[in-house]
Amino acid sequence: MNQLFKRLCISSLNSNQVQINNIHTGITALAWSKSDLPRKFLLHNKKIYPPQSPEEEPRPAFVCHQKTNIKYSPLKLWYIACLVRGMTVDEAVKQLSFVNKKGAVFVKEAILEAQELAVKEHNVEFRSNLWVAESFSGKGMTIKGIRRHAKGRMGEVRYQFSHYFVRLEEGKPPADYYKVNPQTPQQQLNNWLEQMRKRKIINSY
Amino acid sequence: MANSLLSKMGALRLAPVIFIQPSRTTTSKHYIPKYKKQRAQKYLKVELPNPNEDIAAMGQEKIRQKMKERGLLPPRPWMERPFYISATGGVFEPYVPPEGDGKASLVSTTRAKQAVQLLEKKSKSMMAIRKIKSFEEEFDQKEFVQQAQNTYIKAHESLVSGDSRALRLYVTEKAYPEFRFNSHGKTIRWRFLESLEPPRVVHARCTDVVSKENIYGQLTVRFHTRQTLAVYDRFGRLIHGSEIVAKDVLEYIVFEKHLSNLYGTWRIHEKIIPDWAPPKQPSKLTRVMPEPEPEPVKVAADKVESVEGKETAAIADK
Repeated sequence: MNQLFKRLCISSLNSNQVQINNIHTGITALAWSKSDLPRKFLLHNKKIYPPQSPEEEPRPAFVCHQKTNIKYSPLKLWYIACLVRGMTVDEAVKQLSFVNKKGAVFVKEAILEAQELAVKEHNVEFRSNLWVAESFSGKGMTIKGIRRHAKGRMGEVRYQFSHYFVRLEEGKPPADYYKVNPQTPQQQLNNWLEQMRKRKIINSY
Repeated sequence: MANSLLSKMGALRLAPVIFIQPSRTTTSKHYIPKYKKQRAQKYLKVELPNPNEDIAAMGQEKIRQKMKERGLLPPRPWMERPFYISATGGVFEPYVPPEGDGKASLVSTTRAKQAVQLLEKKSKSMMAIRKIKSFEEEFDQKEFVQQAQNTYIKAHESLVSGDSRALRLYVTEKAYPEFRFNSHGKTIRWRFLESLEPPRVVHARCTDVVSKENIYGQLTVRFHTRQTLAVYDRFGRLIHGSEIVAKDVLEYIVFEKHLSNLYGTWRIHEKIIPDWAPPKQPSKLTRVMPEPEPEPVKVAADKVESVEGKETAAIADK
């Protein structure tokens, strides 16, 4: 059984390095294969917005940035991504330098890179005048490994990679990004009144 | 042994933060260290790829080694050089606009010098126009000037609409990148209001390229017009000009045609900017002035790197 296991493992490792009659089959194709990196998030950087009239409030500049295929679990990265949402850039960098996790390094790097990009390419004047408007993680590639179990069985090990996405926006962050502060009774009453007045009574008109 | 007594009580505790981090309070270590090796053998060793490898910093030898490992062939070098001659690469004997558009005081030295030079240049222009007429029988300056203004307007309109295919019809290959320079990701609003003075040909030249029969003609046209221009950035914020304020624009535009080509057309080739032109308006975009870079300090690290490079080369050849 152990022999079988060993042979299985060896064949699975070598399967992507097959050479038939000295003709490269697997790997050479890889060099010209399409990249499977996320594309859509960076396309936001290319969108051109219509001109504004002088009375309008100038639209805040933003920059989207991503870090791809980080050797870290996307689930663990998500917690760090949530932490920095709605913070100013300086605050986020400060907080991240005290997070004792491997992923915090990548997130910090990504934010600093995005800040640099914003100043260089996206007409942002002051590098500190930015806040983290979006921050989330995504799944990257997963490489599957094998581990042994008792009685000749085997299990699967997942070596996960993840992507990190961040969007920095110019200006001050909102006062209450996660909306954790409850409304005052007066505010609640006002909202309820307004809601009642706005409702439509069916078949009335 | 992250949680061992040594790290808790030892001198390591007093070390700076960098050495301690990341420290853990709970450990995933097995309580019997005896079968550590056997437990490790349960997992099959998998060589994980490094997707964020910096290839630019790797060095020639290291890249060669990596490619050999994977059985990759080096990319075929691209030796061809594209060569396209339907436009010349510049303006020959460019027109020198007279000081103050010919209205400066005759006493000024540059103006006086230019007046003398103008005579000999005029005769050359006459010869060039005669040459153009030998290729283009129905060439008429009045008609050409109208056509030139039309081309001028069309070129700007196609730039504004971002129609790069149409722009190629009105602009030579030399002027095309200059036209589109810095227009990426911006919204341009441009309007041609009126012509203050009728445009006129001020300068004409012909030249041959490569062979005697391969002749290009260049005509410089003076435009005095009223236009409005406003440039917005990607987020729709105004960076230059205004859509309301009209400006008087005096321009000297060089048009070029490949005369020997039966299907050649007069296209915009260059704009001549005189020395006496008023300075450009500063951009409305403001930037923080970058701090001066500190002078790099030379370290002996270069020597160490070169030794490493030689070692990898030896490995690659094996």
